[in-house]
Amino acid sequence: MKPVLLIAVNFVREQRWPIFVLLLWVLLLAFLGLFSDIPRQREDLLFVFKQVAVYVIAFSVFFGGSAIYNERKSRRILAVLSKSVARYQYLSGLVLGVAITSGIYCFALGLTGSWTLGEAGFPMSRVWFLMLCLLAACVLAGTVALMFSTFLNPFFAAGATAAVLGLPALASHTLATQWQYLIPVYPLAAIIMESSFQDPGTAFWPPLALAVVETLVFWTLSARIFSLVDIAVAVE
Amino acid sequence: MTPALEFQNLSKEYRSFPRRRLKALESFSLRVETGEIFGFLGPNGAGKSTAIHLAMGFMRPTHGGGHMLGRPFGDAQARRRVGFLAENVALYHRRAERLVRFYGALNGMGGSCLAKRARDVLAAVGLLEQSKRNVGRFSRGMLQRVGLAQALVNDPELLILDEPTSALDPLARVTVRELLLQARASGKTIFLSSHLLSEVELVCDRVAVLHRGKLVRLGRTQDLLQSTEKSEIVAHGIAASAFPGAVARNGVVTFSVPASAQREALERIWGLGGEVLSVNPVRRSLEQIFLEVTTGEERAP
Repeated sequence: MKPVLLIAVNFVREQRWPIFVLLLWVLLLAFLGLFSDIPRQREDLLFVFKQVAVYVIAFSVFFGGSAIYNERKSRRILAVLSKSVARYQYLSGLVLGVAITSGIYCFALGLTGSWTLGEAGFPMSRVWFLMLCLLAACVLAGTVALMFSTFLNPFFAAGATAAVLGLPALASHTLATQWQYLIPVYPLAAIIMESSFQDPGTAFWPPLALAVVETLVFWTLSARIFSLVDIAVAVE
Repeated sequence: MTPALEFQNLSKEYRSFPRRRLKALESFSLRVETGEIFGFLGPNGAGKSTAIHLAMGFMRPTHGGGHMLGRPFGDAQARRRVGFLAENVALYHRRAERLVRFYGALNGMGGSCLAKRARDVLAAVGLLEQSKRNVGRFSRGMLQRVGLAQALVNDPELLILDEPTSALDPLARVTVRELLLQARASGKTIFLSSHLLSEVELVCDRVAVLHRGKLVRLGRTQDLLQSTEKSEIVAHGIAASAFPGAVARNGVVTFSVPASAQREALERIWGLGGEVLSVNPVRRSLEQIFLEVTTGEERAP
């Protein structure tokens, strides 16, 4: 477990600047909360909150899809995997790193959201449930991207991830709504996007639980694929 | 006795789109015994790094396999007892001491023992005073020394070093050479891949030369350096013109003859009234052997 934690913390450390930039979005929401008339502009605040929330799903795909590629390209992966670190541990570290990165963002957004939206009358417990949905969606999206990045370059990995996450959503609109639960990133994002002051909704756990299970499935698949691939470095 | 490192009929073929294939290693077998410094030589593209990466488990062989410290290649537990320094070392940008501790922690080390060990290895590579500096601001030579420190932090039984002295200044090279000799004295095994043949010649007990993925020369360094094909004869009391290629200095004549003609040359010296001062096998440099096996040309000593 120790190597997994070390790799995860190191991943977060390496991503500190993108995380900082992401947190500026949260800062934007905080500024809006500070300098606006919250009760009158609550719909605008909720709109910004939703937008800022779903952006991080795309960033998770970016984090997951580029993690292995960056380490391979810089050759830093060699020093790490030359230690007593199994491939599955390395991958687990990256998944945990993506989870911590998303978690930092979700926590910051949750704090800001519960303050701004809470003052406007949005139930605070609902804000935190939405953040939990967001975190689950981020970790699942990041893990899917990570799986593709074990054998594709980040550009194709991001494309493949978009297809895997988007096709069930498309199928739910064209075929049957149940299709959205195949890879439940879309229904989790939809929970956030459909929240309103008029109908804050209640906690609906199945997509969240499904996301956790699928994250484990994709992590296992990633670990299996990653154990079979060569860590490509320049041939002499 | 279990060898420290053993490659068994190992082959590796790189495949790329559309149908390009490159054989990096072909039926490569090699046994590195415990406690020796083993030099691994070969020109660029010979397959040295590929062999090392296969041993470390970074790649999977196309055929064959091998063992490292008695465990199959790629075994994470075996790597706990191994120190590895990659060619063109790349490390995270953080303070040198923290970085070395990070790599030690990945190997299961911790606490005050790791902190002390990190400082000790940084001192051993001459970087203790720089231990609080970020390695991102280090020169290439200093970076290579930090790389060596991270390889040594777990007090490994087997050290696998890919070009460890390539970016070092002469003083740092001497430090590294002494470190390697100390490591051997304490029973460690060192597998050293290098282009610096003079370094290899100085420290290695045995060497192997790889060329186009195949092992073309293997043996004890001293045996390889001593040619059995030519002898150098030093005599006095004869004219230099008596033997082709002979050089006279202060009345002493030095020349080389094929080993098969050695007896005849000695009898001729005595016949001419001269005195033989010494007869020795011609000692070649590792560079000559390297060029000989990789270019197929024999270079004059």
